[in-house]
Amino acid sequence: MSSSPSRAVRSAHVVRALAAASLLVGYLDLVRGGVTLAPLLLVAGYVVLVPIALLAD
Amino acid sequence: MNASAHPADIRPSYGAAAVAAVAILAMYVATLAPSTAMWDASEYITAAYTLGIPHPPGNPLFVLLGRVASLVPVGEVAYRINLLAAVSSAAAAGIWFLVVERVLAHTITRRWVQLTGGALAALLSATAFTVWNQSVVNEKVYTVSLAFFAVVSWLTVRWCDDPDGRKADRILVLIAYLIGLGYANHPAGFLVGPAVAVAVLVRRPRTLVRWRLIVAALVALVLGLTPFAVEPIRAAHHPALNEGEPTGCTDKIGFACTFSDTTVKRLMANINRDQYGKPNLSERQAPFTAQVGMWWLYFKWQWLRDPHGTQSALQAALAVLFLTLGIGGGVEHWRRDRASFWFFGPLILTVTLALVYYMNFKYGASQAPELADVAREVRDRDYFYLWSFSAWSVWAALGLVGVWRLLAERMGTATRWAASAPVLLLGVLPLVGNWRSASRAGEWATREWAHDVLNSVEPYGVLVTGGDNDTFPLWYAQEVEGVRRDVTVAVTSLLNTDWYARGLIRRPIYAYDQARGPAMYRGRAWPMPKTPVLTLSVAELNAVPEYIQVQEPQLFQHATMRAIVDPRRLEFGVPLRSDLLVLQMLKDNMGVRPFYISRTTASYAQALGLDAYALVQGLVTKIATTTISASPDTVAISGVGHLDLGRTVSLWDAYRAPAAIIRRGDWVDRPSAGIPALYTNTALLLGEGLDRKGRSADAQRVRQAGVNVAEAAHVLEWFTGPSPSAPPPAVSNDAPKSTPIPIRP
Repeated sequence: MSSSPSRAVRSAHVVRALAAASLLVGYLDLVRGGVTLAPLLLVAGYVVLVPIALLAD
Repeated sequence: MNASAHPADIRPSYGAAAVAAVAILAMYVATLAPSTAMWDASEYITAAYTLGIPHPPGNPLFVLLGRVASLVPVGEVAYRINLLAAVSSAAAAGIWFLVVERVLAHTITRRWVQLTGGALAALLSATAFTVWNQSVVNEKVYTVSLAFFAVVSWLTVRWCDDPDGRKADRILVLIAYLIGLGYANHPAGFLVGPAVAVAVLVRRPRTLVRWRLIVAALVALVLGLTPFAVEPIRAAHHPALNEGEPTGCTDKIGFACTFSDTTVKRLMANINRDQYGKPNLSERQAPFTAQVGMWWLYFKWQWLRDPHGTQSALQAALAVLFLTLGIGGGVEHWRRDRASFWFFGPLILTVTLALVYYMNFKYGASQAPELADVAREVRDRDYFYLWSFSAWSVWAALGLVGVWRLLAERMGTATRWAASAPVLLLGVLPLVGNWRSASRAGEWATREWAHDVLNSVEPYGVLVTGGDNDTFPLWYAQEVEGVRRDVTVAVTSLLNTDWYARGLIRRPIYAYDQARGPAMYRGRAWPMPKTPVLTLSVAELNAVPEYIQVQEPQLFQHATMRAIVDPRRLEFGVPLRSDLLVLQMLKDNMGVRPFYISRTTASYAQALGLDAYALVQGLVTKIATTTISASPDTVAISGVGHLDLGRTVSLWDAYRAPAAIIRRGDWVDRPSAGIPALYTNTALLLGEGLDRKGRSADAQRVRQAGVNVAEAAHVLEWFTGPSPSAPPPAVSNDAPKSTPIPIRP
């Protein structure tokens, strides 16, 4: 039972890191002129990962 | 389900809502447009596919989502992006299911009754005409906006249930983020904001003094707005669609030009929609009562769209019914779930009366046709009230369940709910009544129209167009389908802006693909031009004035051409920047590129004094370098000018839109019905020309085809009757493009 909260905290950190990475790499690819990877990463970041990260404990 | 349970303990039926959403999605897929459509559909599909920038504010989140949708390997690109609209609306319908189930769960214990109420909300919200019609083609960004609207609504309802819960603050921060993100899709993302504020104020007013939470919400809101950074980055790559050109980079992307004053100025102009120049809210563009009347007109459409006015009484009766059900639903909501009412009530107020006031529209395109001299919107604006009709459906569903409950209580039998259930069939009426008009299944006419117009132009031609419907579909055909990219499309409404002509200069010269081009252009060489379509430098271009204050006729002379440009024949009584640039293009391309003016612009060639050089070829008018005279293949037709008989016959036989229009058998959007009318007009012209040459059988065949188009599109009365009138211009500008237009002297 004691490991659950710390696991949740770890998961939250992972989601936040993924969200940040997704947006960062997405924008870098966009600057490079990418039209495939960039939108995929930016949509994943903005629409999926950031909302999960904001709700995560 | 226990009615007295704590609201936070009520478990939403996510599975059932998902089933409802999938069922709605199936209905949308069955009625989905296979390709593009009129108005802004082509613009947004092209923007998404090219990761470009549509008209202000640029809708960066939509462009990202649309681009991702375009990568899904199913159907053609337009179909994939249309699916995005369908999925968004179906998701919203699923969420309305949850909201209604949630409200009913407070006082109705029977689970199947709650679920039925939820299903009713999903059905009504999905089959309201405008919601349905916008969900089966990606005409705008509004369906994505609707999904955000619904998600934020659901989160707020859940927060209202338990404003002191463990996740309550996080939910508020998420709501703030989604409102910002929704704004990055469309400014309507903020619509839900006032209702959220009221709900928070009523449920937990002390929230407003919890500064750490407020700061967190503001940071989240700003984070949600950051997709706007996509605009200057993409603009600097100069995609095919780069409206507003929100970048200071002229050649390629760079740090200094991206973080320049020019970029900031142009980006802010885009976000603030400066291009539209809407008047102050205190300057009403129509009386407020008329603006409410416009909303009511579109409200009537929702429950039975009657595009040709054949069922007006039934339509009005259904509108009164659903208005009453909605009001009754609001009362039910107030009585049964006060907590969420304090969100949903203000929401309804925001998307009805407040939105009507804020939008400040002129008279609707279809409103009060008996008023001849009032300023009108160029098209029907029902889509601006999509949220209104969708949210109203939630209350209408609650109202219908309220009627059902009343009937059940009066029956007093053990099976009273089941016995009184037939009343719910009222909820199926919009599904049945709107199916034919809302469906876009099998609609290919716009795509075919784009192909027909482009193929009317000889290789490497310049085509001057006038507005949305003769331009955006061509962009779609060129940039998404790769059709006739050799043709340069120059739309006069955008030539009045400062950025559009720069894009024309920048546009690559694409090689004409002889194999994919029409047969009539085969068998001869078409030299590829080497110069841009405008030979002005960017500095010279920027120096072209917005208009020239001249009222006397001016001589335009170049090589063999002499034209008298009489400002009094121009739309605004003076030559605008667009007129000057069109004449400059004509000069720059004489002997280099064939030059055309789309016949959708009505008499623009004549307005420029080019009558003697104008030769009608199907849907376009070619501007020749020497004066036109009658010949065995050229017929002079009174009121029109000269018709190129041979070319027009070849083009008519190759046109594909007439068959598509006839197959569809209707043209629901009346403001764009000038497009099918132009085909009929062309057929009648051609028929007259063929008659003159003694080809009566051919003339009859062509005329009959034109009449068939007119009958299918319900525009036959424009050509028949005691005093047939010329059809209205086939296109009009959807005002954006509200550029600097002088007062007529």
